[in-house]
Amino acid sequence: MLSPHAVGADVRRFIGRRLFTAAIQVLIVTMIAYLLFFVISTLTGANPAQRVAGRAATAEQVARVAHQLGLDRPWYSQYWHFLAGVVRGDFGYSFQQRLPVSEILFPAASVTASLVVGAAILWLIIAIPVGLVGALRPRSVWDRLSAVAVQVAISAPVFWVAPMLAYLLAYQPSQGKLFGFSIPPVTIFPIQGYTPPTQSISGWATSLMLPWLALAVGFAAFYARFVRAFTLEQLHEEYVLVARAKGASTSRILRSHVAPIIAPAIITLLGLDVGAMLGGALFVEVTFGLPGLGYTAFSAIQNLDYPLTIGVITFAALMAVLANTIADVAQAALDPRVRIAGGSGNRAGGRPR
Amino acid sequence: MIATLGRYDWDPVVTFSSGESDVIQRLSQYCRHLQWPTMTFTVPVGAAPALAEGPQARSGFQNFWRRFRRDYVGIICLGFLALLVVAATIGAPLVAALTGHGDTQQFANGISTSGFPIPPWSHALTATDAQDPNGPFFVLGTDRLGRDVLVRLLYGARISLLVALTATAGALMIGVPLGLCAGYFGGKLDMVIGRAIETAMAFPSMLFAIGLAAVIGPGLLNVIFVIALFSWYYPARMVRSAVLALKSQPFIEAAVSVGSGHRKIMVRHLLPQLTAPLIVYATGIIAANVLFEAGLSFLGLGVPLPTPSWGQMLSDGVADGLYRIAPWAAVVPGIALVLTTLALNQLGDSLRDALAPRGRG
Repeated sequence: MLSPHAVGADVRRFIGRRLFTAAIQVLIVTMIAYLLFFVISTLTGANPAQRVAGRAATAEQVARVAHQLGLDRPWYSQYWHFLAGVVRGDFGYSFQQRLPVSEILFPAASVTASLVVGAAILWLIIAIPVGLVGALRPRSVWDRLSAVAVQVAISAPVFWVAPMLAYLLAYQPSQGKLFGFSIPPVTIFPIQGYTPPTQSISGWATSLMLPWLALAVGFAAFYARFVRAFTLEQLHEEYVLVARAKGASTSRILRSHVAPIIAPAIITLLGLDVGAMLGGALFVEVTFGLPGLGYTAFSAIQNLDYPLTIGVITFAALMAVLANTIADVAQAALDPRVRIAGGSGNRAGGRPR
Repeated sequence: MIATLGRYDWDPVVTFSSGESDVIQRLSQYCRHLQWPTMTFTVPVGAAPALAEGPQARSGFQNFWRRFRRDYVGIICLGFLALLVVAATIGAPLVAALTGHGDTQQFANGISTSGFPIPPWSHALTATDAQDPNGPFFVLGTDRLGRDVLVRLLYGARISLLVALTATAGALMIGVPLGLCAGYFGGKLDMVIGRAIETAMAFPSMLFAIGLAAVIGPGLLNVIFVIALFSWYYPARMVRSAVLALKSQPFIEAAVSVGSGHRKIMVRHLLPQLTAPLIVYATGIIAANVLFEAGLSFLGLGVPLPTPSWGQMLSDGVADGLYRIAPWAAVVPGIALVLTTLALNQLGDSLRDALAPRGRG
């Protein structure tokens, strides 16, 4: 056994190493994102300077714009310039919207954050009870039913779930139908669009209700499976046997023995899944017309607005790396059993997308 | 003479003297009666004739098949996927020939005068929007351009399967050698590859993939490339950790002691140990890649128009809220996607159970 002091030093060293890894990841991620941009501007012949200067610009004007944008410098110098900008919160200038990318980015990020956080709360509310029932009564009717539901929910793509929910829960009720039954026409959820919370809190919540549900379905299934497997494993541990021998009830075992171990694991999983969440949020935002990061990236790609595309992708990647790091550090701090030597990568969920 | 009875290691081990071959024969009959799947007999050479009609040793595949064929869910999934492959390869041109509808053929009488698609199981419309019994018949209705949804669905299966399978093969070809080398050699190489895997997993892969897909443009090969590039790290990670665990096993030590080279150990000794988990893993990755391709196509970054693909049919049915008046335009490709992914995911689970009955593949 390590002494408490030694564990503390180990955790500190682990956190230091993890932050170093995060810094390298940030460098790689931003470089790849920027290289995408660089590759576009040189290899595919799409000249960003031409796009900024406009179709009617003379060669001389284009060259001047290219110089202003720094496009005539070598790629590493451009990258350094870009990185220095990112550090200052400056992600470049959108060709299409004629605005600094950061001014588009931060409102979009707040929409995505409200979508993802709300959905995460929803899927945890669904997944934890479902997973616990499965773990406490394995092979029971409920366990089997939930296993089927989990398998179907994992297989259903979010870009199909989203329009189906909009059809069944928003469009059909507005036409006086609900799952085939006739009801008085009601409009609870808007089919599309986003109401900012500054305008109306209830409007914001109702406009996000279906997006939350659409994003939560697939993740709820993954998390239910995770909670079930994890709890089942813990229930077979010796410390649970000891607690049972001492006469502790199942709920007491769950509350005071299993919960302190599973909570950090779920937090870590949430942190590791931020990248996957942003990918899922993209489809939900596109389907429901929410002006979030994914929608912004998608329309920027369609408009060939490269600085905005790269800005959103870089920002999203930074958020994902940040969340991963926080998750690992939180795990190390909360759960002393974390494998110091192994570093991160203790992901137990399925395949994220 | 030792007879191991039953499925698992912990099932009874019975020792007989060599004179008791008749007992073994009766036991083997009893085992067949109980339908115990596995029964191995270690028999001295001299006693072999007595067992000529008794149970024979089974290969790994036979053992796997005996377990797998009892799993009716797995069999149904395998059957569905086989049917899908047949439908995509032979069924698509066959149905196109039977109905006389091409996959990109637009029927002017396949949409109503107000521009709405025709619902499933109905004929094309006359000028007054009545069904024309002599006109073309659409089993699954038409889409917004008056194309036959069934024919497009079948041709779309080709793209889904082709892209998912080749991209997964590509991902395995990148990921397996990397994971193998990282786990086997360890040290600096492992650190570099391990960090690369971690970094790749931290990426919001969908966002990067659409960025990359937009940069290199649509096209079959480009889609396969993008998907392979964003799925190599799953097999790499699995192979790396499996090799780390296998490396210290006695059979590797034995191979080293008889002078096998690194390449021989990796290819001849480690890789065969990984076949079972890799098959299970690959099934899951194929399922994920079916959805990946559909997602890219949904965003208009997949195989270029007008080639039908499920994701693009789905996005076509969802765009401008077409699914509100023509639900089948979104429901049909969506169900095809869900069933295919479901069958692959469930098949992966069944394979895992059959290949490694003690859990943990």
